[in-house]
Amino acid sequence: MRAFWIIFCKELRSFFLSPLAYVLMALFTGIAGFLFARTVESMQQKIMPRSLIFNLVGSGFFWMGFLILFPLITMRLFAEERKMGTLEGLFTAPVRTSEVVLGKFFATVVLYCVLILPMFLFFPIFKLVTGQSEAFHNGAFWGAFIGLMLVGTFNISIGVFASSVTQNQLIAAMLTFVGVMMHYMLGFLLYINALPESQWTAGLNYFSTIEHISTLSEGLIDTRPFVYYLSFSAVLLALTHHVLEYRKWKA
Amino acid sequence: MIHVTNLTKRYAGRTAVDSISFDVGRGEIVGFLGPNGAGKSTTLRMLTCYLSATEGKAKVAGHDIFRDSINVRRRVGYMPENVPLYSDMRVQEYLRFRARLKGMKYRESRSATNEAMDICGLADVQRKMIATLSKGYKQRVGLADALVNKPELLILDEPTNGLDPNQIRQVRELIRHLGERHTILISTHILHEVEMTCGRVIIIDHGKIRASDTPQALVRRLRAAGKVSLQVKGNPQLVLEEIEQMAGVKTVRHVDTRQEWALIEIRTVANTEICEALYELAVKKNWVLRELVQHRASLEDAFVDLTLAGKTTPNGKGENE
Repeated sequence: MRAFWIIFCKELRSFFLSPLAYVLMALFTGIAGFLFARTVESMQQKIMPRSLIFNLVGSGFFWMGFLILFPLITMRLFAEERKMGTLEGLFTAPVRTSEVVLGKFFATVVLYCVLILPMFLFFPIFKLVTGQSEAFHNGAFWGAFIGLMLVGTFNISIGVFASSVTQNQLIAAMLTFVGVMMHYMLGFLLYINALPESQWTAGLNYFSTIEHISTLSEGLIDTRPFVYYLSFSAVLLALTHHVLEYRKWKA
Repeated sequence: MIHVTNLTKRYAGRTAVDSISFDVGRGEIVGFLGPNGAGKSTTLRMLTCYLSATEGKAKVAGHDIFRDSINVRRRVGYMPENVPLYSDMRVQEYLRFRARLKGMKYRESRSATNEAMDICGLADVQRKMIATLSKGYKQRVGLADALVNKPELLILDEPTNGLDPNQIRQVRELIRHLGERHTILISTHILHEVEMTCGRVIIIDHGKIRASDTPQALVRRLRAAGKVSLQVKGNPQLVLEEIEQMAGVKTVRHVDTRQEWALIEIRTVANTEICEALYELAVKKNWVLRELVQHRASLEDAFVDLTLAGKTTPNGKGENE
């Protein structure tokens, strides 16, 4: 547990002492801000059945910008250490592999929270400035927040895993991007009815991020996404643990 | 301090370390010597629990490297080959991080860091980014990292690799100084280094231990089976034939002919002196002699002997004691 905190703090420091965190925050806030403005505009033109939040986080454009975050924040975690050889120093110190994995994982989750925080400030500010209390209700706000946290945790663990299997940051980033994109697309294709309906596609509904987010951002807190995202994150982190331990036995 | 029995590491189709056994006692400075690819780093990585052994056992500081790896790692300061460091950290920051990671309390880690920086002469670069340091300083940061938590045992993998002669001397001084307080196992392929710093040498090649002794004893053993070279004017073929007849000669070889001088190299059986006999032979046969040298063996000869020709010399079978 001790080593966990030390690695957690060290990772957070190196995130925020490098320009990457700030560049990403600016980029993501910019994209989200632009889409937010567009959403508000389009809602002024015609009456929409759903809330402002639903219209923002449910749009495909938002997800393009959103999913690009994950490869960028996770690619260096293990790949860089492998490349530089510092992994050797790390694992010959008295630390457990699990402490290293969790330390890096939670540090990245915290970074992610900081990155999406500005976007969630848009909504209360919007309410405050315009006085449009009916733009969205609190349930939608918290639901969307929880939804993005769950999806984020899951995507970060994809990135952590991808970073552990290679020493090339670019490959780690590509793997992560393909991973998060494919996972998203699986549900998205279904959502826009691009896949023929069958017993197989019915099962895919459970993987559908957009389905989960829609439900949550209407303020309906369903427990199924919790179980889904958190258990899959745990599986991916366990795999990462095994990949890192595997070096010992490699023949 | 280290107790290794039949440690083996096999990679697919290749045995990197082949059932080696050795001991390192408390307070010793032991050199782990071998050509590149002999299995030095693999052995050290197994001892520091970075890799697992395929077979065999090892105890470091009283703890089994497999069952009790955390306790082993707590007691060992390890400096990996090529000294990997986080280049985006400052020296002091890095050492504090490492001290904390190795289980020191916050306050302890601060004083330990200062102490390690003092020992390694890093005080004037403590606020510099590691990326901007020269190779010599980086090496010293690696050394400071290894000893920051005051481990009982230091394992240094090629600590002077890539340094210039002055820096090598400094690092060597440092290691000797550290030897007063720690048990040290260093690996290297630089013979001079071992001769200067180590009380005992373990020579390893192709994953097997070829010899384990003090540098002096190794050299003595080799000098006993000495080497003589001479330059003589005349038909080298005839000279070779004559010398081969002599008592105490193991091998004779015509190395080179410069102008009309034939350079001939003789290896003799242990504890024989043949220079006098050679001189008498030359006089008798009327050879003109320009050079007659009894070579002093160096550790380098021992090394070459044990790792290259080692399979043919009887000396090569040095077992550990």
